[in-house]
Amino acid sequence: MAQQEFIIQRYNPDTDESYEESFNVDVQPGQTVLDSLNAIKWEQDGTLSFRMSCRHAICGSCAMKVNGQSMLSCQTQVDAAAERGDPIRVGPQGNQNVVKDLVVDVSKFLDQFERAETWLEPHEDQAPPEKEYRQQVEEFDHWSHASTCIHCGACYSDCTVAAVDENFLGPAALAKAYRFVMDSRDSRREERLQFLSEEQGGIWDCTRCYMCVQACPKDVLPMDAIMELRTMAIEAGFTNNHGSRHHKGFTSGVRKRGRLDEMMLPVQSVGIGRLLTGNIGAHKEMMDYTPGAIRLLKSRKLLTIAQRHGANAEGREQIERIFEEVEAEKHHHDVDSEAFGAEFETALGGH
Amino acid sequence: MSKYAFWPGCVARGAAPELYTSTLAVAEHLGMDLVELEAAACTGAGIISDGEPYLQDVLNARTMAMSEQMDLPLMDICSTCVGVHRLAAEKFRDVDYRIRINHHLAPEGLEYRGTADPRHLLWIMLEDVGIDRINSLVKKPLEELSLGPFYGCYIIRPERTLDFDEHPTRRNSLEQLIEILGATTVTYDGMTKCCGFPILTMNKKNSLTMAGTHLDEAQSKGADALVTPCPLCHLNLDAQQPDAAKVIDRNLNLPILHVPQLLGLAMGIEPEKLGLTRHVVDTNRLLNKIGA
Repeated sequence: MAQQEFIIQRYNPDTDESYEESFNVDVQPGQTVLDSLNAIKWEQDGTLSFRMSCRHAICGSCAMKVNGQSMLSCQTQVDAAAERGDPIRVGPQGNQNVVKDLVVDVSKFLDQFERAETWLEPHEDQAPPEKEYRQQVEEFDHWSHASTCIHCGACYSDCTVAAVDENFLGPAALAKAYRFVMDSRDSRREERLQFLSEEQGGIWDCTRCYMCVQACPKDVLPMDAIMELRTMAIEAGFTNNHGSRHHKGFTSGVRKRGRLDEMMLPVQSVGIGRLLTGNIGAHKEMMDYTPGAIRLLKSRKLLTIAQRHGANAEGREQIERIFEEVEAEKHHHDVDSEAFGAEFETALGGH
Repeated sequence: MSKYAFWPGCVARGAAPELYTSTLAVAEHLGMDLVELEAAACTGAGIISDGEPYLQDVLNARTMAMSEQMDLPLMDICSTCVGVHRLAAEKFRDVDYRIRINHHLAPEGLEYRGTADPRHLLWIMLEDVGIDRINSLVKKPLEELSLGPFYGCYIIRPERTLDFDEHPTRRNSLEQLIEILGATTVTYDGMTKCCGFPILTMNKKNSLTMAGTHLDEAQSKGADALVTPCPLCHLNLDAQQPDAAKVIDRNLNLPILHVPQLLGLAMGIEPEKLGLTRHVVDTNRLLNKIGA
C-alpha cells in the first residue's frame, strides 16, 4: 500500500481563517480522491468538510479543484491526479464563496439557470399531451450532449469570465439554454436567442477559452453550445451587438485580403452605422482605442498594420471564390428548407 | 535540413511583426527551411465560425491541403492558429464532411486527405529539433532570468485534439523550454488561463481585468518577463498592459516575450534582429540583466 500526500485548502468560517493542511493517506490501486478525503475525515480529522453523495459521477455533489482543475473527486483516481501534481492539491470550487473547507455556496451558480429560464415552455396552441411531451430520437441526437449536465458546477468553477464578472450566465446555464433553443417542443426559440445575445453576460461575453469543455465530467461541451447559439442568433437576425459586428467585420476583412484586417476591425466592431449616426457611446468607444493606437505607433507596429499584409493575389482569388460558393450553397440551403417548410405545412394542412 | 510548410498567421504579419522576424531569425540559425503559405487564408480564429462555421472549416481544410500537396509538416507560430487548425482536422476525420468540403478545394487542384498534423513552433522545437540540439546551440544561458509561461488557450485546450497522451511534453512545453534555456520557471495560477483578448472589443473591462490579474500575479511572484506562444495573448499582455494596469489599479511593468525571441536570446542573436525593440513594454531592463 502506497502513501500519498494531499495538501488541502481549508477554511474555518468561525475564525475566518484560510490555511493549507497536509495529510498522508494509504492508497490502494484504483482509489479515488473522494475515497481519500473520506479516509482523512474518518481516520484523521472529522472536521474536514466536503460534499458527496452517489460516488458514481451522477449526483454532481463532489466537484472540486484537484491540482488546480475542477473535476468530480469520485471520478478521479489518485494515480491519475498525482501524475498532474504530487503532492495532490485539493481545493474548493472557484468563482463561488466558500462556506467551509471544500464546500462552496452554489446559489450563484444555480441562480443563472433561473435567469436563463431553462425550462420547457410548450407551444400554447397545442393541446397538452396525455402523458408526456415526446421528442424524436433523431432530433434529440443533435443536442443530447447538452442534456447530460449534472449541475456539478465544475465548468462554472473554472470559467475565466465568471472569475472577473459575476453577471456572466456561465457555461452550464448557457448550455442548458442551448438545449431548449434546440428543442422543437419549446415555443420560445426566438425570445431565448434574443435574450442570450442582448443580455449583459450572455453568449458574446464568452472568451472561447475551452476551460468548461475541459472541466466538464459529462462531455456537455458547453463552449461548443455557446458557439452554436452565436451562429443561431446571427441567423435569426439578432445582430445589433458588438459580438456579431466583430464577426461580420472580421469575416469581411478575411474575404477582402485573406487575412485579418487590424486597421478596420475596431471601427467595424464599434459599428460604422452607429458612428455615422453620431451615437455618442460608439464615439466614446472609438476614443478608447486612441491610447492603444498611440502606443502601437510608438513601438513602430502601426506601420506593419498599415501595410495590411494579405494573402497573395492567387490566394485572394481562390478565397473570394470560396466565399461566393459557400454563400451560394447557404442560399440554396435556405431555399430548400423554405420549400421543405411549405411542403410540411401543406402536408399538415392536408392531414 | 528540416523543411516545413509555414503558416505565420495574421498577427505576426500585422500587429506583432517581431514574432515573424524572430521566427525567421531562429529558423535561419537552426537551419530550418520555412516555406511560407502565401496563398493561405486566416484560420478564422473562431470568429468567422461564430456565424459561419462551415466557411471557416473550408478555409482551414484548404491550408492543410496545401501542406499535404507540398508533402511538408505544417508549422504554426500562434496558439490560436494551431488550436483552430487541429479542431478543424478533428472534424475532417468524418469522411463525408471531408468530401463535402473538398468540393470547394477541387477548382484549385487541392484535396484535403486528412493527414495534416498541424504543430506549433514550440512543439517542433521539443519534438523535432530536440533538447540536445537546442542545448548545443545555447550560447548565452538565461540563468539570470525568472520567466512565467503564458500558454494561450488553444495550445493546451481542449486536450482531446492536442495528442497530449502521445506527446506528454506538450502538457508543459513552455516550462521545459524555459528550463532548457537555463532560466527559472515562475508558476502562477493565470499561466493557463485566458488573456482576455478575444473579448477586448466586446467587454474591455472584463478583458483587461483578466490580462491585468495574470500580469500582476506573475510579477508579484518574481517573474522578470512572461513568454508566450500566442501573438494574440501578446497583444493583450504587452500592447494593452498600460490600460490593464489602470483597470486593476496596480503598477505593471512586465515585458512579454514571444517563444522565438526567447530562443534567439539564448542563441546569442542580437535583440534588434529579434524585434525586441518593438514592444510596448520596454525590454531594456530585461536585456541588461542578461547582458544582451
